[in-house]
Amino acid sequence: MFLTRSEYDRGVNTFSPEGRIFQVEYAIEAIKLGSTAIGIQTSEGVVLAVEKRVTSPLIEPSSIEKIFEIDHHIGCAMSGLIADSRTMVDRARVEAQNHWFTYNENMSVESVTQSVSNLALAFGDDDADPGAMSRPFGVALLFAGIDDKGPQLFHMDPSGTFIQYDAKAIGSASEGAQQTLQEVYHKSMTLKEACKNALTILKQVMEEKLNSLNVELATVTPAAGYKLFSKEEIEDLIKDI
Amino acid sequence: MQMDPGLHKGEGYQYGPNPKQHYFSPYSMNGGTVLAIAGEDFAVVASDTRLSEGFSIHTRDSPKTYQLTNSTVLGCTGFHGDVLTVTKLLEARLKMYKNEHNRQMSTSAIAAMLSTVLYYRRFFPYYVYNIIGGLDDEGKGAVYSFDPIGSYEREAYRAGGTASSMLQPLLDNQIGFKNQEGVTKVPLSKEKAVFLVKDVFISAAERDIYTGDNIMIHVTTKDGTETEVFPLRRD
Amino acid sequence: MSIMSYNGAAIMAMTGKDCVAIASDLRFGIQAQTVSMNFQKVFEMGPRLYIGLAGLATDVQTVAQRLKFRINLYELRENRRIKPKTLMSVVSNLLYERRFGPYFTEPVIAGLDPKTGQPFIASLDLIGCPMITEDFVVSGTCSEQMYGMCESLWEPDMSPEVLFEAISQALLNAVDRDAVSGWGAIVHIIEKDKVTTKTLKARMD
Repeated sequence: MFLTRSEYDRGVNTFSPEGRIFQVEYAIEAIKLGSTAIGIQTSEGVVLAVEKRVTSPLIEPSSIEKIFEIDHHIGCAMSGLIADSRTMVDRARVEAQNHWFTYNENMSVESVTQSVSNLALAFGDDDADPGAMSRPFGVALLFAGIDDKGPQLFHMDPSGTFIQYDAKAIGSASEGAQQTLQEVYHKSMTLKEACKNALTILKQVMEEKLNSLNVELATVTPAAGYKLFSKEEIEDLIKDI
Repeated sequence: MQMDPGLHKGEGYQYGPNPKQHYFSPYSMNGGTVLAIAGEDFAVVASDTRLSEGFSIHTRDSPKTYQLTNSTVLGCTGFHGDVLTVTKLLEARLKMYKNEHNRQMSTSAIAAMLSTVLYYRRFFPYYVYNIIGGLDDEGKGAVYSFDPIGSYEREAYRAGGTASSMLQPLLDNQIGFKNQEGVTKVPLSKEKAVFLVKDVFISAAERDIYTGDNIMIHVTTKDGTETEVFPLRRD
Repeated sequence: MSIMSYNGAAIMAMTGKDCVAIASDLRFGIQAQTVSMNFQKVFEMGPRLYIGLAGLATDVQTVAQRLKFRINLYELRENRRIKPKTLMSVVSNLLYERRFGPYFTEPVIAGLDPKTGQPFIASLDLIGCPMITEDFVVSGTCSEQMYGMCESLWEPDMSPEVLFEAISQALLNAVDRDAVSGWGAIVHIIEKDKVTTKTLKARMD
């Protein structure tokens, strides 16, 4: 793909003669440099797990955040440029609260994803809505949540395309992780199993040794809503795998 | 100095001995009464069909009920211009919601949205009295009543509009069993509800000049909405 | 706020078969503040003749007394009981004398003709315009509510018992939708040979 590089790869508002917008494709490539994140949907709830690259012992691990609460019933994991993800998470949160304010009900996971997708696609526009930038976002997101349709998992890439998944991996080790997910996933998986599977896969693909400080894990369930696991809870899970 | 009693023409202004003030009133009251009753698994929404202003009747065929969805009916009275605007706005918002979220809006969501729609005009309100009737998420009858600036409440029954003060005490008595001792509070049947609606509207038409001509009665159940027209006195 | 609703009141009268009923609430208040819960608004003007006065409390009491004065004088001069319809004319005259500085009270009259026993009810406005009806009359701060109730509950030829139930329910449910009337009620059922007076418990809010 990089062989076809040309003057068309500079503008975000110009198609190449082959009908491609290179900046968007490059942004999708950028995700493949990011840390690995996994989402698994079960009938009991959805789990999100991400690796944290703690590149120095002087880093305070808890200051790296890659899973966010969007609303009580929706969580979001990211891979790519953390700073870019903040803008998108912010938008998701505002949209979710606006929906609650207007309709006095929870916003569906798909609708939240759609609203963030609208932002992702607004790049390059001079007078676009606040939050949009001159370039595509260098982020892929996994939206996990509970709504009327039950537990839901959505993946969105920098082009704004979003697709629902039973299980999805993004980031540098996504190819291998996705392969493993396909092998282990089944419809009757419990949430506990899903948590363990997610950590097991992360363990396999991470360069560092997996511990309670270099992973983040969250679940969204009908009963408890969004719940980010504490260091101790993650340690308990790691013991079992 | 002597004042000329005629018109003085100065620089850019004129004045005379008889100053005249001009008014514009942005509202008028076009009358009408709406009523909604919630049952166990149904809701009744009714309104009269008279549209009037002062002592004249504009039309005898203007129902103030609006079918919003399969399971929700709105009753809306007050200033007819604002009624048209609000109902049209709601219809548009309903379609947008359906497009954005791939589902029909629930009765409770419509009620919440109407509240915000009304409150956004807090300092130049829509002069409308709204009552929503329909089925809630569990299929139970639901009634939501509003003031013109968005305060709202879920209730079992509510009358609104020009004859509301005539209807409401009787509903308290017959549906709420108020001021009755030793009665068994039997659940309201559809037939009893429709009978009461006709009864109270006949009474209202007797005394309220803004209520009359016909009643439009909508009965909403899980199978949809049935509509009945019942004649009232036309004087 | 209108002076007519300064103190708050609810009064109605209804006809039945060979009987009439008159009922009032018992509240005396100053705007939103309730002062008394046994304030008389219905006054006996003869053995089977009552008048209810809704409106400004001070005028209610003044009119009641001046009216009693005139009725006493009438009955001494004429040496006979006053007919309800004649009472209505006396009230009308009394009020119209103050055409341009009226008593702020709107009366309701209920009674049986002393000779024929015919039911009679009537109401007047504050300057004495009378109105005689066959079914019911109302006066007070919740007149719309009372009209709604009466219009539905009244039916022709009610017995004294049925009439009592109808007027009681009509009054109680009407005052419960009015902030300045209620706090108890009193009902007089007037029959040829007796007058039954009952006080009703009501919501106290």
